[in-house]
Amino acid sequence: MKILRAIVRLMIRHATVVLLLAVLLSFSLLSPKFLVSSNLVNILIQSSSLAILAIGMTFVLLTAGIDLSVGSAMFVVGVVSGKLVISGLSLWWAIPLALAVGMLFGLVNAFFIVRLRIIPFIVTLATFYAGRGLGLLISETRAINLPESFLQIGSSRLLGIPMPVLILLVVLLLAHFVLSGTQFGRQVYAIGHNSDKARKAGIPVDRILIGVYLICGLCAAIGRLVALAQLGAVSPTFGYQNEFMAIAAAVLGGTSLFGGKGNILPGTLVGALLIQAIQNGLVVINADPYLYPVVTGMVIFLIVMIDSLRHKSAQKALRTKTAA
Amino acid sequence: MKSKTDSEALKHNPEAGSSNKLIGNLLRNPENTIVYVCLFYYLVMAFIAPGFFTVNNSWNILFNLMPLMIVAVGQTFVMLGAGIDLSVTSVVAMASIIGGYLLSDMTALVEPVWLRMVMGLGAMVLAGGLIGFLNGLAVTRLGMPAFMVTLTTMILFSGTAIWLTRSQNLYLLPENFVNLTYSSLLFVPYPLLIGLIVISAAWFLLNKTLFGEWLLASGMNSKTAYLSGVPVSKTLVKAYVLSGCCAAVASILYTARLETGSPVMGQHILLDVIGAVVIGGTSLFGGVGKIHWTVVGAVFMTLLDNSLNLLGLSYFLIMIVKGLVILLAALLNLMQVRKLT
Amino acid sequence: MLLKLQNIRKSFGKVEVLKGISLSLERGQILALIGENGAGKSTLMNLLGGVFTPSDGDMQLNGNAYLPDSPIAAQIKGIAFIHQELNLFPNLSIAENLFINQFPIKKLAGFSLIDRRTMRERAVELLRQVGLQIRPEVKVEELSPAQQQLVEIAKALSAHPQIIIFDEPTTSLSRHEANQLFELVFQLKAKGIAMIYISHNLDDVHLLADRIAVLRDGELVKLDVKEAVDIQGMVKAMVGREMSEFFPARKVLPDTKRLLLVENLTAKGFVTALDFHLNRQEVVGFYGLVGAGRSEMARILYGLDRFDTGNIYLNGRLIQKPNPADSIKNRMAFLTEDRREEGLLLGMDIQKNVQLAALSRFSRGIFRRIDRKRAGGQVSDTVQSAKTRYNSVTGQPVSTLSGGNQQKVVLAKWLLTAPELLILDEPTKGIDIGAKREIYGLINQLVEKGSSVLLISSELEELLGLCDRILVMSQGRITASFTKPMFDRNAILEAALHKQSETLPT
Repeated sequence: MKILRAIVRLMIRHATVVLLLAVLLSFSLLSPKFLVSSNLVNILIQSSSLAILAIGMTFVLLTAGIDLSVGSAMFVVGVVSGKLVISGLSLWWAIPLALAVGMLFGLVNAFFIVRLRIIPFIVTLATFYAGRGLGLLISETRAINLPESFLQIGSSRLLGIPMPVLILLVVLLLAHFVLSGTQFGRQVYAIGHNSDKARKAGIPVDRILIGVYLICGLCAAIGRLVALAQLGAVSPTFGYQNEFMAIAAAVLGGTSLFGGKGNILPGTLVGALLIQAIQNGLVVINADPYLYPVVTGMVIFLIVMIDSLRHKSAQKALRTKTAA
Repeated sequence: MKSKTDSEALKHNPEAGSSNKLIGNLLRNPENTIVYVCLFYYLVMAFIAPGFFTVNNSWNILFNLMPLMIVAVGQTFVMLGAGIDLSVTSVVAMASIIGGYLLSDMTALVEPVWLRMVMGLGAMVLAGGLIGFLNGLAVTRLGMPAFMVTLTTMILFSGTAIWLTRSQNLYLLPENFVNLTYSSLLFVPYPLLIGLIVISAAWFLLNKTLFGEWLLASGMNSKTAYLSGVPVSKTLVKAYVLSGCCAAVASILYTARLETGSPVMGQHILLDVIGAVVIGGTSLFGGVGKIHWTVVGAVFMTLLDNSLNLLGLSYFLIMIVKGLVILLAALLNLMQVRKLT
Repeated sequence: MLLKLQNIRKSFGKVEVLKGISLSLERGQILALIGENGAGKSTLMNLLGGVFTPSDGDMQLNGNAYLPDSPIAAQIKGIAFIHQELNLFPNLSIAENLFINQFPIKKLAGFSLIDRRTMRERAVELLRQVGLQIRPEVKVEELSPAQQQLVEIAKALSAHPQIIIFDEPTTSLSRHEANQLFELVFQLKAKGIAMIYISHNLDDVHLLADRIAVLRDGELVKLDVKEAVDIQGMVKAMVGREMSEFFPARKVLPDTKRLLLVENLTAKGFVTALDFHLNRQEVVGFYGLVGAGRSEMARILYGLDRFDTGNIYLNGRLIQKPNPADSIKNRMAFLTEDRREEGLLLGMDIQKNVQLAALSRFSRGIFRRIDRKRAGGQVSDTVQSAKTRYNSVTGQPVSTLSGGNQQKVVLAKWLLTAPELLILDEPTKGIDIGAKREIYGLINQLVEKGSSVLLISSELEELLGLCDRILVMSQGRITASFTKPMFDRNAILEAALHKQSETLPT
């Protein structure tokens, strides 16, 4: 009985991991083609773009901010890099330029948030609009097809590891180290708990916020390039609602929308994998494509619900403890 | 100094909203800069945008404004309660296909047509209310963050609307319904009439009733409110239901105007809606905001859209400008808050 | 001479807040700084702490000119400021909090990484200095308020301060914990660290200080060694007049009619088998350590928390499942400990705050329309009777009021509901003496008009002065009961502490 309760508690604590396993298990029961190594690698490849984006988003969420503009940033990055490559610029120039565009987005957000003290929700809502408009303007609302060379990067392997997964791995490890092993990372958590307190404690709040939005923009750009290398084209709806998926992935991984709580490894990674596993599984079992968003929506709802209930019981436990 | 005279004025006249004082208050109150900006913008555009200052275009603006304003008013209730409702777009879509299905001559579920209309419109509003109720329950009873709840219900119900209709529009809506946009009662076009009714009802609810006071208190500090006997959960659920119902009413106007029930109806209005509320000055943190602020915010968003179109700006340039304007409005708002404190 | 202030002045706009203060402090000396709220204590300390710069005057540290332009600059010069509101991040570990701004760093392939081992070692050493035996990896949110206070002090020590400023450090501590803190203070003193101690608790001040400085209206009205000033003298200097009638006698005696009866009330982990009653027009006080279960009991009675077994009768009627809305209907009122989070709508005006609990009484019709005229009239009457000082009932957010006036606003909110039973949880916490006295007066008026009061307080003086009966709680149980003239200070204190050591943890 005691063991059972302990297991239940453990499962609730790691609800996202348990759910990921449950999703993997149920799809593998529904289709023999799901739980095979080639498909699992597929899931990894497919989720790499979202995961990278969500990693950047996690930084922002940890400071109690939000970045609604990443989808638009991705779109602009895609359009710019597409245009550049088509116009004959070598990839070695196009890629750094694309990354710079992403960071520029972050810098603009940071400027309004840090210098003018407008709340992140409004700032990034505005850059969401402006960015999407800008992208449409540059692309003249036409899809841009990229040359083969770009696609080849996407399907290439290094040491047997597919390029997108490799990039994800590098970003993941770097981000994890920055967050948990550097002064910058720990101060991000401090700011997320209370930025006024952080300022009083002498933490360079403004500089860190700028850094965080730069990281988010950079991740958006990297994530976009990874996706581009797989898709080979930029459509006018490219990156649309990606910001919501990235936020969902981070929150599923346990990052709080109110700042100061959460992590990238395993949190955000598991969140992104979970979303992608569902999408992939639905394809593998030949589900009605119209059902994808319905199922995804329900699963996210379920996880957020479990997470909230867990917080409720945790609060109760904490109260008992202090009184005893 | 300014704030002092204002509070003095309020002290001597606690019913500061009454009709003949309204205009005076609007002019005196520093928080109404957005009203001047709107008026100024309107005047400038009247000169430079071709075809802006015409009867035809004025009707156009009005018809575009009404549904947006109605959704934004509903959203204001939720934001006053320190929440956010991202699911309004999916409510518009769901209500549109439900209405389309029930009203259409293709299905012709019920005769006579007027009974079908009553049923159809009723079902639309009911659907909106139900989705709002679901949001409200999840936020209050399960303690889920409003942003995530309504984000998932947005994905869920948009998906459901598309799934149910297989992405097909529902045509052949009854003549009476389609004519809603162009017919009028006592010379007041129905969309305007509906809009006015919604604003007045919302204003009354917020400023004159117990519900309004409770909502503001719950949004400002839910702990204090609960301790003081305010039924916080019930009040917040009501706010979400109102938001859902408002979005459904807007869906009636959209559906009638486009003459189809569409599962992607309203997909792009979310940011316009939130923009309108925020430009109006309602706080995202709850407890601070007014219905007429939101109305002005919606007017401004609509004016912007309409005038830039007339100036021949492309859709994407309009988006850029809208983005900048939201920032500018937020900045203005902030400068006032700083001046006051 | 470690620190020397000469003729310090500070003005905000045209208002002069400090009018020429001269003070000095030597190594290993404790200077107590007392005064009513608004007397200028915080401003003076903020000058020392680098938050503000003085308008005029001279500050010297170790004989050199001292003019910090930021809290960090002050810290570097050796002045640490421990604020009443702790500046800790509960989501981070103890060690991370200690070094939040200067983590020990090691270089790895060009990256500056946190050197966890060094950080741990240094954290353990700092925690040892303050006598806290907890692993530095533990998150601060898992610590008790007292432990958090110690972490804050450890953090201050990490910068090797010459002077530590304490601003009301004991407000969230139990008596026992406060005594532990005082031990630490004496240890630091022995090491030669000078301290400035700000408190409203005059007993503590008398216990700790070498010298006592009293501020009033921006002026230093008294500065003397502790032996030369007694508590009466301190009060007199702070308020500027004799306070003979600090606790005026009530004109009525408790009724014999019973208002509240609690039988065997138990909520696991919080309170155990509480039996007590409260008569009409009676003031019953609850004394005990922080965490003894007093606030929990009040929250249960009012319906904020659940209980497992027991019966609550109000006016002889069994209350099944209490909740705040019903409690208000039953004419109960509850002023909680946390005025900002649970008592006020900080961004709203006095009108909205005061009318909140009685709102439904002003509404009528199917739309529950509010009768603003009636509400407005009653609110301004009540606010005035509560002696609140304000500029405007509407249009001035309560966040701009002083702590004492904020508390009066909360009190006015409950007065407006005309309660029969008023539960007050630490009603005078962090409030200056003048406002305290007015609140005592209000409590007496209320009882004279027929209400009963359940008063929870950690200030024994207050309970002795106001109550008809005092019940003492310890570890969730009522351990002693005293009835008016038979109040025995020592017995009360003993009952609050004694049981603590006797009962073994189960």
